[in-house]
Formats: sequence, C-alpha cells, structure tokens
Amino acid sequence: MALGECWKQLSWFYYQYLLVTALYMLEPWERTVFNSLLISVAGMAIYTGYVFMPQHIMAILHYFEVIQ
Amino acid sequence: MTESPETKAADDEVCRRVKNGLKPERNGSAKSLYPRPCHERPPKNRCHTAEEEVRPGMGRVGWVCEAGESIHSVDSSRLYSRPFIEYFEETPMMVAVLTYMGYGILTIFGYLRDFLRHWKIERCHIAREKEEQKDFVPLYQDFENFYTRNLYMRIRDNWNRPICSVPGAKMDLMERATYDYNWTFEYTGRVVQDVINLGSYNYLGFAENTGPCADSAAEVTMKYGVGVASTRQEIGNLDRHEEMEKQVARFLGVESAMAFGMGFATNSMNIPALVGKGCLILSDELNHASLVLGARLSGSTIRVFKHNNMQSLEKLLREAIVHGQPRTHRPWKKILIVVEGIYRYLSLALCSRKSFPLLKFPLFSFLVSAAIICGQCPSAVYATSMSPPVVEQIITSMKCIMGEDGTTIGNERVQQLAENTVYFRKRLREMGFIIYGNNDSPVVPLMLYMPAKIGAFGREMLKRNIGVVVVGFPATPIIESRARFCISAGHSKNMLDQALNVISEVGDLLQLKYSRHRLQPSSARPFDDDVYEDIDD
Repeated sequence: MALGECWKQLSWFYYQYLLVTALYMLEPWERTVFNSLLISVAGMAIYTGYVFMPQHIMAILHYFEVIQ
Repeated sequence: MTESPETKAADDEVCRRVKNGLKPERNGSAKSLYPRPCHERPPKNRCHTAEEEVRPGMGRVGWVCEAGESIHSVDSSRLYSRPFIEYFEETPMMVAVLTYMGYGILTIFGYLRDFLRHWKIERCHIAREKEEQKDFVPLYQDFENFYTRNLYMRIRDNWNRPICSVPGAKMDLMERATYDYNWTFEYTGRVVQDVINLGSYNYLGFAENTGPCADSAAEVTMKYGVGVASTRQEIGNLDRHEEMEKQVARFLGVESAMAFGMGFATNSMNIPALVGKGCLILSDELNHASLVLGARLSGSTIRVFKHNNMQSLEKLLREAIVHGQPRTHRPWKKILIVVEGIYRYLSLALCSRKSFPLLKFPLFSFLVSAAIICGQCPSAVYATSMSPPVVEQIITSMKCIMGEDGTTIGNERVQQLAENTVYFRKRLREMGFIIYGNNDSPVVPLMLYMPAKIGAFGREMLKRNIGVVVVGFPATPIIESRARFCISAGHSKNMLDQALNVISEVGDLLQLKYSRHRLQPSSARPFDDDVYEDIDD
C-alpha cells in the first residue's frame, strides 16, 4: 500500500515536471529526446563531482590552513 | 460649474480631496471657452472622473464622483458612488522565469521539427505551395507561421469544438479524436451532453431556443426569410432594421443610431469615416486591434492616454485644445475619444463616459450583437445587411431589457448576472487563483501563465464536463496566458457551485493557485442593489 502511495506521488511529480517544462505538449519521442539529454547532462555533472570532489575539498582546507 | 443639486452634494464631500488641486474657478474659465451647456443632452450620458490612489501591491482603488474638475459635467439623476476596484496582481517571479523556460524549450523543439520537415525526414501536413508556383510571390510566410505550426497545433483540440445544441448555460459537444497529434480530427459519434458553458458571451442568458425571443425570431423568419442578400444602401433595408435602430437609439438615449453586425470591420472602417486629417483621436492604451487599426487608417493624429485614467485624458485634452495642431497651431477640426465599454480580454469596465461639446458622435461597445455609430460609413455600402431573425432577436431582447414588453424579466436577469458575477469572483479569489480585472465584470480571466497549462486546463475541464475558453499568445502578452470565464444570467447557483468545485480540483492538480494575497472566506453578505444600477433606466 505504501508503494502504491509512493507511486502515485511520483507520478504527480512527473506530471508537474511535464507541465512546467512544457513537455506535456510534445510528442513521446520528443519527450524521450529531452529526457535523455537532461539525464546525460545531469549524470555527467554528478560523475565529475564524484571524481573531483576529494581534490577540491583538500584544496579548500589547505587554503583555510586547516590542513598543511 | 456643476449646476444640478445632486452633483453639488457630491462635490462638497468628495471633491475636497481632489488631488490635482483644481478649484471650481478654473472650471469656470474652461467653461467660458465652451458656452453651450450640455444639459440638453439626454440623461443617459453620464460624466465621471475617477480619482485614483495607488495602494501598494494590490491594484488601484478609484472613487468615482460627479466631479467639479471635469471640463463640464452632465447632470444625472443617479450618482455612481460605488468604489471602482481593479486588480492586476503581479506575476510571481518564479512563475515568469519558468514560463519563459517553457516557451524556450518549445521553440527549440519547433526549430528541430521545422528542420526535419525541410529535409523531408518527416511528412509535412501544413499547406504548401505547388512546385510549379515557386517563382511567384509566396502565398504562405513560413516563418510567421512558426508559432501556429509548432505551438498552436499541439493543443488545437481546445478550440473550435463543434457543438450540437444552442450555446446556452449548458450545451452538447461532439466528441472528437485525433490520431496524428491534432493535424486532423475524427468524430467518434458520441455526443457529450450537458456541458456547463463558461465560454459564450451569453451575459443575460438570451441564447435559448424557447421563449419570446425565439418565437418572434421564428415568426419573422417565416415572413421575411433568412437573409436579404443585399447591402443596406441598395435593397437590403427592411422595416425591421429601421425599428431596431430606433430601439437602439431609445435604449442609449441619443437622437438616432445606426447598427451593423459586430465585427472587426465595423470599428476599423467606421472610424475613418468619422475623422480624417486635421482631427485628433484620443485612444485608451488597451483598445482592441480593430480600434487601433481604424485610428491609424483614418490619417488623424493619435494620442494615447493611460487606461481608465481620467487625469491622463484631461491632461492630453487640455494640451490639445490649448496648443492645437502640431505645427500650425490651428484648432483641431474634431476630437474623438475612443474607449471600450467592456474590454474582453482584460475584463475591465469603462469607468467614465465623458461627453464634450467637441465630441460629435460617441463611440460605444455593446453587450448585444450590434455596434452603434452615427454617420456615413463603408459598411452600409459594401456589407450585406443583418439578417431578419437576428434583427428580431435584438429587438425583442432589447425590449425585454428595457422593460417595454411589460414584464420584469430584463431587470431580473441583470440582477441575476450581477449576483452571479460577484459570487463567482469572490469564491475564485478566496481559493487563491490570480484573477484580473474589475470586480463587477462578468468576464473573469484566471491566470495560467505556462504554455503547457493552457492545454492541460482546457482538457481537464472538458473531462469533468465543463467547457471553458483558454487564451494564449497572440491575443494576450506572451507570459500572461489565461482562462476566460463568461458568467451568464442563465447559470443557476448550483451550476456555479459545481463549476467552482471542479475549478478548485483542477487548480490543485495543475498547481494554479498562485496568489499571494489570499482573501479570508467571508460569510455571504447580503447582496446590495447598486451593482448595475446604471443599466436600467
């Protein structure tokens, strides 16, 4: 039952996303194109963050002289 | 200056607060320029001035009084002392940004689809010229139709829905289905019954197929036929037309009137007939395209005053009278003030009707199906005259409104419309929607803003058996798309309640309750009688 509720809520959020980005008016293949572009860009951003975050954090701590 | 005793009383109380500091003596001097008094004007033309103060955040509140600061005023037996409130709540910043983003995404996809169509990867459904005609001047402008091809077509099923009953308070729709994303439609054969109609301009509820109007129209059809197939100037002038024009003149309280089928051409073709070079047109900034076009075509000088702002109009008028024509300083041949009675897309109401001795023929816009103007005009020469059943409908409904048919139905309908309007607007505002316009206007625009919500709102309302009109870009500014409800005297309270519940439900589903000034739900106050008190005469 909780899963049903969760699914309904997610479904409602997806509907709001479609309305706000005007994907509601586009055909299914256009939605696929847009969603793939968005997910690939977001995925690349997250991967870059994951790879470079330790180095960036070390650099900041070094700048504030918390670490030598 | 203001001669009559009723106006004197108003002057004492309200006009002491006059902001622009005009004193009665100044009006005396203005009067001396125009010695002819206008008290001989019949009482239907009233003269008001709105004094406005700006309240931060909400809108303008104006007090309309019989003012001493106008150039002259006409005595009238009634004081329109109801506060004149118009709301234009600002668009929330986040909503504006997201709307622009939505249009940006649609534009990018529009370019993509045009590219595919151009390289024949996708089949092109739109009208194109034949190969053999390529060397002629092009018939279709490809870029200008960008908006139509790529945005309008996607949600086209919200407009031009075929109905199969009279468009009264409830109507029947033909159900349609589309299998190629709105390029073509097919009928499923089913009829959607009893859809509540919030889209027709049926303010007093005369769109019905039973009752005195329908009966008299049917009689006249049997006698005169359906149309005359000629212009008014040749053989198209029937005695019904003459009677209708006399009726209209009586209704408005003018000496005589001329009537045409309502339309763009009426305004755009008749203004050039009234004024020409050497004349001045003072036009409200929010006038309709037909009035703007007519003003430009006439060749007169055009000056624009701020919407419903009497100070702005007076300032322009004084300057015009004092300085005359731009280079020669000769007096203007005519000065025409152009306003609208009800602004359809903005649901504002006229706050003032001024008549000046220079103004020969006032221009009105009207709730029934005719636009009235006096004078010569191209429409009488080139356009076919109105068909007899329509004319008869106008005559009967006007008699009903004026009370000449011996019943009080007209008055009751006007009161019912006023009640419905006030109730509907109040409830919508309490729910948290952004509603534009004057509190007394039966045209209620509900702001949607985002392009996808235009289509979604129309479709969701139809699923729940309510027919609404949604309006988008070319008719409104690009981010201010809206749903426009037209309240009718034919709607019963049950229908309105049902509609309001559905609107609230759809508003929650689509997250349309943008307003940041939520009204507290108040108990139903007793309805006061002075909402439309200047309609009946």
